[in-house]
Amino acid sequence: MGSLLETKSLTKKFGGLTAVDHVNLTLEKGELRCILGPNGCGKSTLFNLITGVYTPTAGHVFFEGEDITGKPVHIIGRMGIGRKFQVPGIFDQLTVFDNIRVPFFRDQRRSLFFQPRRESGIDDRIMALLEKISLVDKANLPAVHLAHGEKQWLEIGMVLARRPRLMLLDEPTAGMTVTETRKTAQLIRDISSEEKITILVIEHDIGFVREIASRITVLYKGAVFKEGSYEDIQSDESVRRIYLGRSG
Amino acid sequence: MNKPISPAISAARSPGLRIRPARIALGVMVIFLLFPLTKNDYWVVNLTQLMVYGIFAMSLSLVWGYGGILCFGHAVYFGMGAYIYTLIVKGMLPGFTGILGTGIMALITAISGVALFAAVIGYFLFYGRLSGPYLGIVTLAMAVIAERIAVDWYYIGGYNGLFSIPPFSIGGYQFIDPLALFYLVLSAAIAVYLLLTHVVKSPFGIILRAIRDNEPRAESFGYNSARHKIITFVIGAAVAALSGVLFAVVTEFVSPTLIGFSLSTEVLIWVALGGKEVILAAFLGALAVRALEAWLSELMAYYWLLFLGIFFVIAVIYFPRGIFGSWLADRYEHRIKGRS
Repeated sequence: MGSLLETKSLTKKFGGLTAVDHVNLTLEKGELRCILGPNGCGKSTLFNLITGVYTPTAGHVFFEGEDITGKPVHIIGRMGIGRKFQVPGIFDQLTVFDNIRVPFFRDQRRSLFFQPRRESGIDDRIMALLEKISLVDKANLPAVHLAHGEKQWLEIGMVLARRPRLMLLDEPTAGMTVTETRKTAQLIRDISSEEKITILVIEHDIGFVREIASRITVLYKGAVFKEGSYEDIQSDESVRRIYLGRSG
Repeated sequence: MNKPISPAISAARSPGLRIRPARIALGVMVIFLLFPLTKNDYWVVNLTQLMVYGIFAMSLSLVWGYGGILCFGHAVYFGMGAYIYTLIVKGMLPGFTGILGTGIMALITAISGVALFAAVIGYFLFYGRLSGPYLGIVTLAMAVIAERIAVDWYYIGGYNGLFSIPPFSIGGYQFIDPLALFYLVLSAAIAVYLLLTHVVKSPFGIILRAIRDNEPRAESFGYNSARHKIITFVIGAAVAALSGVLFAVVTEFVSPTLIGFSLSTEVLIWVALGGKEVILAAFLGALAVRALEAWLSELMAYYWLLFLGIFFVIAVIYFPRGIFGSWLADRYEHRIKGRS
């Protein structure tokens, strides 16, 4: 088992602020990992560095052993890193069905000015995905009309459609009800076990983190603060302190 | 969840946005085809010119409505097309003689020249990551510069423009008869409508709308948004150039007003009022606003602008997606409710 993703003393400074501070993170193939941390600890910046939105001030990102530091977003996207954004990143005016079609067009061999061949079986794969995220009934609806939780699932479905080797999920349960959160945790566990996709999740909902029961990395002030299982982290006095903000 | 998959697919694959407008488009096409039967010569000539603006509006609908590129200099492509065509057929462009000087070759040269120009401009705009108001300002500057050049360049007619353009001809047939011109422009309009509808329905068109709705999302799926926007920009410019050429053919003159800021903003208004997210709505918008302008100015001399202004305000408030666009979009949503 080689590591799929590795960051080596990854650092990003915005003026005087160090958003990400010498982060060394290693993700094994097939792993499901949670990144936990209070607001503003650099979680989203870390994702932006991995996916090429930002160029790091120092350090490197390796994906399957290849240095991908500073490559453009669409190139990194093509290499097999799929990302779910914090604010649901969907295409508002397109129907739910068309939203899922967009990532599929990437594989189209013939010119994009022509419809995919019927025998490509894309439609069946789209419907299977819609079933997985429980949106079959809303396939025809413009995505803007979906409820907040459904938008999050739609985006997970879109990322899944690319069959990425690494999935980055940025707060997939933000703004969800307890039931929706549980359902999302179930969905992510399924994706991890059935599709064998390596997943890195950012969350600060501790209930969700318990549900997916994965290995946890705690970030604090841009640096790795602690790493361990849910039990280790939950019982750790120093982690509690940074979360409750006592004498940070 | 255990429904058979195929009906769901067919339901998903037949969004109303595709079927209904196709029927309406067919109806509109038939009306136009049969219009000359009314023997109303005044309106045949009038409609010919209106359709030229309609083609121009359709090109902007692609760029703005589908591509999300708010271009304040779209008339530059219209005017450039008209000027290049005119200079060639009047034998004023050195080197374009003999076969190169014919109407068809002038048309092709104008369109490809403008497309090339748009590709260069687009390269700098979109790889330079310009969007929103910044893109608007740069394209606006482009329009102002183009108009200044046209006004000050004596060789291409300066302020007065160029007159007495020889009639368009194909294989010896000259388009002089108003009816012939009407059908020439109508066939161009139909061809452009079919082309643009094909483009926006294709995977390219869906990706384009995806980029418009959420660019970072589309890019993270591996799509090069700059490249998609440049291609869209070039297609839009080529169609605008075609409409510019048709303008020169129909009116037999070109002037700096065709290339500048005022026509650029006017076309934005037609498209916004018609409905920028529906190709046909943009076409009808151009026709309706131009016809309304003509009618109002006849009716009330100086006050027509005031009434047009009031009409704009009402339309923007009550039909944010355009007069024809809202109408088509409404049908679309009703159909969805009826299905579920």
